[in-house]
Amino acid sequence: MFHIPEPILKFTIRLAFRAQRTPALAMLAAAVALAQTTATPPNLQQTAAQTEYFEKNVRPVFVKNCQMCHNAKAKTSQLDLTSASGFQAGGAGGPVVSKDRPEESRILKAIGYEESLKMPPMGKLKAEEIASITEWVKMGAPWPGAESAAAAPPAKPVVSFTPEQKAFWAFQPVANPTPPPVKDTAWVRTPVDRFVLAKLEEKGLQPAPPADKATLLRRVTFDLTGLPPTPEQMQAFLDDKSPDAFRKVVERLMASPQYGERWGRHWLDVARYADSTGNDEDHRYPYAWRYRDYVIDAFNQDLPYNQFIREQLAGDLLPASGAAADPDMPNRRGIVATGFLALGAKALAQTDKKKMLYDVYDEQVDVTSRAFLGLTMACARCHNHKFDPILSKDYYALVSMFASTKDFARDDTGVAQLLYVPLVPKQEYAVYKAHQDRMDALRTAIEAIDNAQRVNWVRANGSHMSEYMLAARSVNVDGKTSTEVAATASLDEPVLKVWVKYLKEGSKAHPQLADWDNSAPDRLAATANAYQARFQARFDEWSKVLEKWQADVQAAVAANTKPPAKPHFEPGKDQFFYEVFLEGPFSFSEPDDDKPPPKVKPIELIRSADAKDQIAAIQKQLAEMKASGPPEPDMACAVAEGQSVDQKVFARGDYNNPTEDAPKAFPTLLARPTDPPVKTTSGRLELANWLAGPQNPLPARVMVNRIWAWHFGDGIVRTPDNFGKMGDRPSNPELLDFLARQFVDGGWSVKNIQRLILFSSTYQMASDTDDKDAEADPENRLMTRFNRQRLDVEEIRDGVLALDGSLDPAMGGTLQKGTGTDGENSAGRLSLDPLKLTRRTVYLPLRRANLPTLLNLFDFGDATTVNGKRTITNVAPQALFAMNSEFGFEHSRKLAEMLLAMPDATPARRVEAAYLRILNRYPTSDEVDTVLTYMQKYSTKYGKDNADLEAWQSLCHILLSSNEFLYLD
Amino acid sequence: MENPEKLFHHFEKPTTRRGLLRAAGCGFGYLAMSAMMAEEARADEARAAAAGALLSPMAPKPPNFTPHAKRVIFLFMHGGPSSVDTFDPKPRLTLDNGKPCPIKLPLAFAKGEMGPLMKSPWEFKQYGQSGIPVSSLFPNVAQHVDDMCVIRSMVGEGVDHGAALLQTFTGTSTFIRPSMGSWVLYGLGTENQDLPGFVTIKPTLSHGGAKNWASAFLPGAYQGTAIGNAGMKVADIKGEPLEYLLNKHYSPDQQRFELDMLQNINKRHAEVRHHDPQLEARIQALELAFRMQSEAPESFNVDEESEATKKLYGLDEEVTRDFGWQCLLARRLAERGVRYLQCTHSYKWDQHGELFVKHTSNAKEVDKPIAGLLADLKARDMLKDTLVIWAGEFGRTPVSQGGDGRDHNPYGYSIWMAGGGVKPGTIYGATDEIGYHAQEDRMNLHDFHATVLALLGLEHTKLTYRYSGRDFRLTDVSGVVANKIIV
Repeated sequence: MFHIPEPILKFTIRLAFRAQRTPALAMLAAAVALAQTTATPPNLQQTAAQTEYFEKNVRPVFVKNCQMCHNAKAKTSQLDLTSASGFQAGGAGGPVVSKDRPEESRILKAIGYEESLKMPPMGKLKAEEIASITEWVKMGAPWPGAESAAAAPPAKPVVSFTPEQKAFWAFQPVANPTPPPVKDTAWVRTPVDRFVLAKLEEKGLQPAPPADKATLLRRVTFDLTGLPPTPEQMQAFLDDKSPDAFRKVVERLMASPQYGERWGRHWLDVARYADSTGNDEDHRYPYAWRYRDYVIDAFNQDLPYNQFIREQLAGDLLPASGAAADPDMPNRRGIVATGFLALGAKALAQTDKKKMLYDVYDEQVDVTSRAFLGLTMACARCHNHKFDPILSKDYYALVSMFASTKDFARDDTGVAQLLYVPLVPKQEYAVYKAHQDRMDALRTAIEAIDNAQRVNWVRANGSHMSEYMLAARSVNVDGKTSTEVAATASLDEPVLKVWVKYLKEGSKAHPQLADWDNSAPDRLAATANAYQARFQARFDEWSKVLEKWQADVQAAVAANTKPPAKPHFEPGKDQFFYEVFLEGPFSFSEPDDDKPPPKVKPIELIRSADAKDQIAAIQKQLAEMKASGPPEPDMACAVAEGQSVDQKVFARGDYNNPTEDAPKAFPTLLARPTDPPVKTTSGRLELANWLAGPQNPLPARVMVNRIWAWHFGDGIVRTPDNFGKMGDRPSNPELLDFLARQFVDGGWSVKNIQRLILFSSTYQMASDTDDKDAEADPENRLMTRFNRQRLDVEEIRDGVLALDGSLDPAMGGTLQKGTGTDGENSAGRLSLDPLKLTRRTVYLPLRRANLPTLLNLFDFGDATTVNGKRTITNVAPQALFAMNSEFGFEHSRKLAEMLLAMPDATPARRVEAAYLRILNRYPTSDEVDTVLTYMQKYSTKYGKDNADLEAWQSLCHILLSSNEFLYLD
Repeated sequence: MENPEKLFHHFEKPTTRRGLLRAAGCGFGYLAMSAMMAEEARADEARAAAAGALLSPMAPKPPNFTPHAKRVIFLFMHGGPSSVDTFDPKPRLTLDNGKPCPIKLPLAFAKGEMGPLMKSPWEFKQYGQSGIPVSSLFPNVAQHVDDMCVIRSMVGEGVDHGAALLQTFTGTSTFIRPSMGSWVLYGLGTENQDLPGFVTIKPTLSHGGAKNWASAFLPGAYQGTAIGNAGMKVADIKGEPLEYLLNKHYSPDQQRFELDMLQNINKRHAEVRHHDPQLEARIQALELAFRMQSEAPESFNVDEESEATKKLYGLDEEVTRDFGWQCLLARRLAERGVRYLQCTHSYKWDQHGELFVKHTSNAKEVDKPIAGLLADLKARDMLKDTLVIWAGEFGRTPVSQGGDGRDHNPYGYSIWMAGGGVKPGTIYGATDEIGYHAQEDRMNLHDFHATVLALLGLEHTKLTYRYSGRDFRLTDVSGVVANKIIV
């Protein structure tokens, strides 16, 4: 124990009391407190011989291999191996030697390459070098001169935020700006316009003229529903000359269920939604769709955004809504909402389960901090954030919350098992579970019966093993057929065939067959007998274990309790027995092991009449239970409260290097003394309330910016997921704060913010403006015009389907079947092909490891990280899709048929109809003429069976492939 | 700053000053370049998404220094071939066969007991002038040792397949990151604009699946293009190797006729929209697509090769036909300027049991095709600037598992490279005497990536992309180029 002078101790205690208010002091207090508990230094007593040993065998190794990084200056991982004091102080992960158990010292593990930390990194030390250091550590690691070295612990650096960091725009309270005065007040329709116009007037710029009505309707219909307007909707809007015509359209669209499908999809990008785990085996999330449907519903209902935050982080901890709620009924909606945390990419087969869990927590910190705060907190996993005032401790404080949250049903199995939370009262689920368990028990009973058949068979035939071996030899060596040998020796032919194959592979493949392979011809019978004797001995022993198991299973089934698992024979114990009895010649295939054809004789063929009857009876019972049992209750992929654990900060993000404590807390910079303490198990509820509280400037700012960006194609801050130093600065900070303030004051209603935006002149501008204004504002930061936008992949696909009435309007539910993963390279690993389905794109299951190529092609993103803004590319393979896909041909054909089915229409009327439907406007007479001329030539040149229809199909194909269809003005 | 004229490599020059301004300000080409020059530009990320790309993101870009290799062919042995049975002979295993393992084993994949040391059932022989030993699994590849550099000191972190594949191809198994091929394409573009620049032939759908050839946060144009998948038969892939490549309804003439009308409409549309660069770029993309579909099918038509060549790759034998087709297709595409190619032998090499039987049949399937590829590249004088990489996601343990198998071993395993500037006829690095840990010249996967990029003329610390507020690179914060293996 280090001696800490009393005044310092007292100071520490005082610090600890004040720590709650002052983060820097808290750090210092923690550092001092840590120093007290640090393990004691190694034995300092040393002899001359030890000194000599050190100077001769140890120091040179340090000098040559370690000190280039671990010196007083570089101090990599805070470890200095150039001096006694440095060595004794240890590194970021604490002391490097253990006094109590020297052989377990960290330094030995590192140089022995035993764990993840392997030193030196460029190559393992020589064996004798390792031996020397090991010896020295066992002596107590005597380092000459250590007696005189200062025993004081090195001071931990105290991190505090700079004034610049604290003054950074994003962390300031949301202001309450008054809409500024403007000259052209006639242009102002909502306060948004004042903020925009004031900036333009300041620069002497003009806003673009208003978009024409057809353009505007196409824009707003795609924007709010992801679908094109129908010709009828267009006509109605063009005919409506009332001043509030546009307002009525917006209200109609926002009230339609397609609104939630479009805007919910935007949020699903942020929530990195998908239907499988992605990494390694890509297991399905069988109930992920309920979260997707929840999001769509939340937007349709205009669920207040603060409630939306709370439900997604801690919905399971909120009371069920509705006065008449059944007290036994869980909060279904809230549980489903936590899919936000549960549905990230995961590596379930990761061998290092601890790492798997910390990667899951990391993913949850990342999605939570970027989605709601616009902060990249996951950058602080290995060190304090390089750019933003976020401490590593802040990161691990959130990890403490997620580590106290349950994500898995089992996380200690080879492939971790996902958590499915029942959405029914406990009692109802218990009934279902009991029924399933009973069916499992009956299946085990069948397994036990079959097992007895195997044992009986070997008991009856095992004494012929040597005959099988000799018979197989006469097939392999003497070239006889299995049939004739089996007949002569009265052996079971299918069993003999397996012996033939097994012995043919021989000792190269099965080392334990060496004695057999090397046996002298005249000793073969004796060798076979020796194998048989060993086998018999092992069988006598193991069959007892199996018979006991079988009896236990029978008893358990009779008593209606859970039967024990089948005992597992460790192959290493007796490889020959294992291969013969459990895999090879004397084993029999499982009943359902028929694909590919079994390599061994099927078990059905050796069942006794009695066993057959028993199994048939159980199977009948199983079938009845399956038919009569309760259906699977609704389930969700969600999280639940786990065991409360507080984490430590891990140096360099490595869990082998725990340092200071990081109890559950809110990020230091944004936390307020008035924040309520964490009381629930995980702290998720407190976190959710804190995020959704009015004092926190970021969630409202981040969300209104997202809304703006999804309407205009670009945000006021162009990095919607990063409001930190490396992110963009707001082009119009007053407007951003005005919207954020309106958002909070208006009850966090998304639709109300959208009304402010959509009713503005800003939204209704044309997408082209005077060259001069455009040059002055090339990136349109000041909003001289509307941004032209390429349709998203959902709009392209759903839009085309909608044009000819192919789109299935059904909402919700899942198209994905089953649970778990799929066979290697099987089609099941692929997502369903969007071009063969007619549901809206948002309902197509997304297999993370193999997203549909159409989605990749049109910049969907990868569905593994927060994606508030999709990258847009413009490449030839997209053009190939337009030109060549069956999808394009099929739907242009259908459209052509629709046009031709118009009664009594002239060709010009049909062209008009085509333009109105596909491009949502009427063509000019010039365009009509050009198109008709084209079709005439086309049908003359290329017409086949139905030249007229083919020409109209070509026209529709052209319009669907056109830039005008693909881009939104 | 590069001459802006060069930026308009493949496309017509914008006609207005505004177009130019927008191109320089928001065009993708500018971005890639500025990011590569590590220019401090806070809003890179924002600009990346801004406006459509005026320039083809695939246009060839200059490397950082004179490259040795112009292209890569990665032969991936999915499952993890055993090093001590292929390229890293360990006499100690023969001596101590059946004895307990002398060192404490690190975290292994399988739970349960590990067996004793197990000697290799294959014999090693020295080949060529270099005398590099190769086991009897690879008699044909062994003929080329004098062109190869065998790296015996690879080190990965992933113990399971998923983690190991992702780390091999993206540098990390923890996060979703762009794949190596995507980084190479981002850094260098590609030479043939009529073909995709990064092609992966019959890739595996498991163990990360498409994440292993995806572009993650890099623009989608850099993702790999999959030709079929490992579950498909070659015959089914041949019909349409690239999605949407073939027009099954029109004659070429008819298609051109329709396309002319479409472009006519598109041009009129763009004219009244100030020739918005994103609209102009799409007009160009349609032309490019038209050229691609007429030229690409020929590139994929392996049947056109001479009988002698097909034989060289083993297309005349059932056992070698699949991988032979992959290798020959890779050579055709490499010849036509595709930057980065991968062939996958999936998912074969994971011998927890039946090592002798399965490794024998696996090697048979690839030995001749790989030797054929090396011979063919050399005959065409392409080996000098084509980097061929042979690797699994890890090696296998020197101890037995289940009696006749070996477990995963990422702690020290062998791969080899040939051509493209690697020192021919050399061995780099070494494992300990039982072949468990890499000991000399350890090459972790970051070092491997840094070295591959260096061979392509790219400085791995400079190949960065700004995303989510920081500059990312393939090698994260590490990576040391193994200069000893570069000529």
